[in-house]
Amino acid sequence: MTRAATLGAADADPAGDDAAASVADWFALEEPTGTTDTRAIVGIAWRSIRGNASRSLLTALGVIIGVAAVVALTAVGAGVTQNVTSNLERLGTNLLTIGATVTRSSTGIVRTESSAGITVGDAELLRSLQWVDGRILGIAPSVTSNLQVRAGGLNTTAQVLGTWPDYAPIRDLEVGAGAWWTDVDVESRARVAVLGHEIAQELFPGMDPLGQSLTVGTHTFTVVGVLPDKGAGFGSPNRQIIVPLSTYLQRLARSQVAGGTSAQSVNQIFVRATEAGHLSALQTDVMLLLANERGEFDLEALGFQVQNQADTLESLTAVSRTLTLFLGAIAGISLLVGGIGIMNIMLVSVTERTREIGIRKALGARPADIRLQFLVEAVVLAAGGGLLGLAVGAAGARFVSPMLGVTSALTVAPMAVAFGVALFVGVVFGLYPAQRAARLDPVASLRHE
Amino acid sequence: MTPALELDAISKVYPLAEEDFYALREVSFDVPVGEYVALMGPSGSGKSTLMNLIGLLDTPTEGRALLAGQDAGDLDPEEQAAMRNRHVGFVFQSFHLLPRLSVRENVEVPLTYAGYRPGVRRRRALEVLERVGLGDRVDHRPSQLSGGQRQRVAIARALAMNPSLLLADEPTGNLDSETGLEILALFDELHAQGATIVMVTHEPDVAERCERVLRLRDGRLESDSAGRAAPVVA
Repeated sequence: MTRAATLGAADADPAGDDAAASVADWFALEEPTGTTDTRAIVGIAWRSIRGNASRSLLTALGVIIGVAAVVALTAVGAGVTQNVTSNLERLGTNLLTIGATVTRSSTGIVRTESSAGITVGDAELLRSLQWVDGRILGIAPSVTSNLQVRAGGLNTTAQVLGTWPDYAPIRDLEVGAGAWWTDVDVESRARVAVLGHEIAQELFPGMDPLGQSLTVGTHTFTVVGVLPDKGAGFGSPNRQIIVPLSTYLQRLARSQVAGGTSAQSVNQIFVRATEAGHLSALQTDVMLLLANERGEFDLEALGFQVQNQADTLESLTAVSRTLTLFLGAIAGISLLVGGIGIMNIMLVSVTERTREIGIRKALGARPADIRLQFLVEAVVLAAGGGLLGLAVGAAGARFVSPMLGVTSALTVAPMAVAFGVALFVGVVFGLYPAQRAARLDPVASLRHE
Repeated sequence: MTPALELDAISKVYPLAEEDFYALREVSFDVPVGEYVALMGPSGSGKSTLMNLIGLLDTPTEGRALLAGQDAGDLDPEEQAAMRNRHVGFVFQSFHLLPRLSVRENVEVPLTYAGYRPGVRRRRALEVLERVGLGDRVDHRPSQLSGGQRQRVAIARALAMNPSLLLADEPTGNLDSETGLEILALFDELHAQGATIVMVTHEPDVAERCERVLRLRDGRLESDSAGRAAPVVA
């Protein structure tokens, strides 16, 4: 309207008519929209970022690291969870585990009773139940410890596990070569062993381990079977040496208990049901049987519990979820620090570019235009840093985690959250410098060198 | 008709501990459309303050300044910026071009804030650059140009929005005398074609080219006289 008024007034002035007309001729400008072209402002911000590429990268580095950390750590956390879950599921759903009471406090921290108080006698009692109860497929107590083992000149640490022959069908552990030892071996306390895949390769590289000898502590065992590769991860038998329970208790147990074998304590007893449908009832019956044996019906005071697979799965996933959340929170803090880094550099940038701001204001930039320019710059830095961080985190999870011996699983949710937080951080920490720039006094800014 | 600029008893006061300092004291004058005015005065006379007030970079403590009949005093900073964009074309002593942008992009800056689309901006920028004789330098950076060429870019940028007022602050101050004369000739041409110009200068021979010379001293308007280029009143 003002332009029209000016030109109209000029036209109405007879003296200035010719001159004004000639101005209007070369300045035949249509009415402007009056609102700044936002895309142009985004362009200005983008050029400033590209013009200072190395500095921009350094500015965004904090966000890159933050997002990468969130992505990589949650991926590793999710991987561990998946691993645990699939390992447990591989055991079958119709499994009961009698073991030390595991309590979880409200913070998710797990406590295990130091002594389970379950013995070989309990396992024998359950075996007698098996003879009359068709719901039970197999019973296997287990006791483990990490021991030094030697074969030839080689020497390593393995988890030595003493159990009954039922352990094989219960845990689905068919031997790849040789044969499982049997009840006869348990009876005779034979020094025979079935080796996990990795241990077999380590102690007998390039040769057939079957029939070879290996020394556990001071006792020599003969290898009768080797398990196939069951993969790494929680509960994997790859680094186990499985021996008859009786042999273990006589030769390898740390302490001998008066009262014979039946009084020896074990870590766990596995009970496998014929089908999953029997599991709940069986769980109750086993619990009652063992409680009755002790004359102790306060289940809390028993010191052990009978867990079915679903319970175990639930408590383990809860633990790893908490762990993942912790890792994510720590990584989130680094993201916050990254945001502060952006704010720092943006404040420096506003000071450095005071003259540019002054010039733009003299040419008609509104405070809102300047604010938008610097805000877009901060957000683009944060978003770019976020995208790079996603890539770095994903690459890190994929390539580095196998080196560390853990699996990882990239999931969309934490990636989306990390990127969202990065954007949010960009806006929040970009606002203050942008506001400072918008409020600069144009006269002082123009004088600024 | 409405003057391009009307100043009605404007004062600029800076409060100091002892007593208030009057950078400008009740200055009043009008600049009709198409006039070519020189603003002179020794340093400390209030020239710069007055220029900032006319250019809407600053607001007066008292009095009113009207650009093309509009009072900027009641406007918020956003509206003031829009008005500066539409009505004021600055030409600075030290050019004040943006070094990262090309010549054409520098000229497009005010058009961007006015809301013109890229196509219009480009066409308009080329048009005004052609007008100041730099049609063949549009993709250069300011650093690749001579001082005189840089000032031509700045003039093209000031013309881009067809402002009500061209406000030139010592436009030849950083140029050698020959280049300075070329720039002054360009201003003469623009004036002949109807532009309204207020030029701050301390050189009498620059001021002589104008139609009218305003002299400031100690924040007051000392004299208001006709220059050599003043049209003869019949």
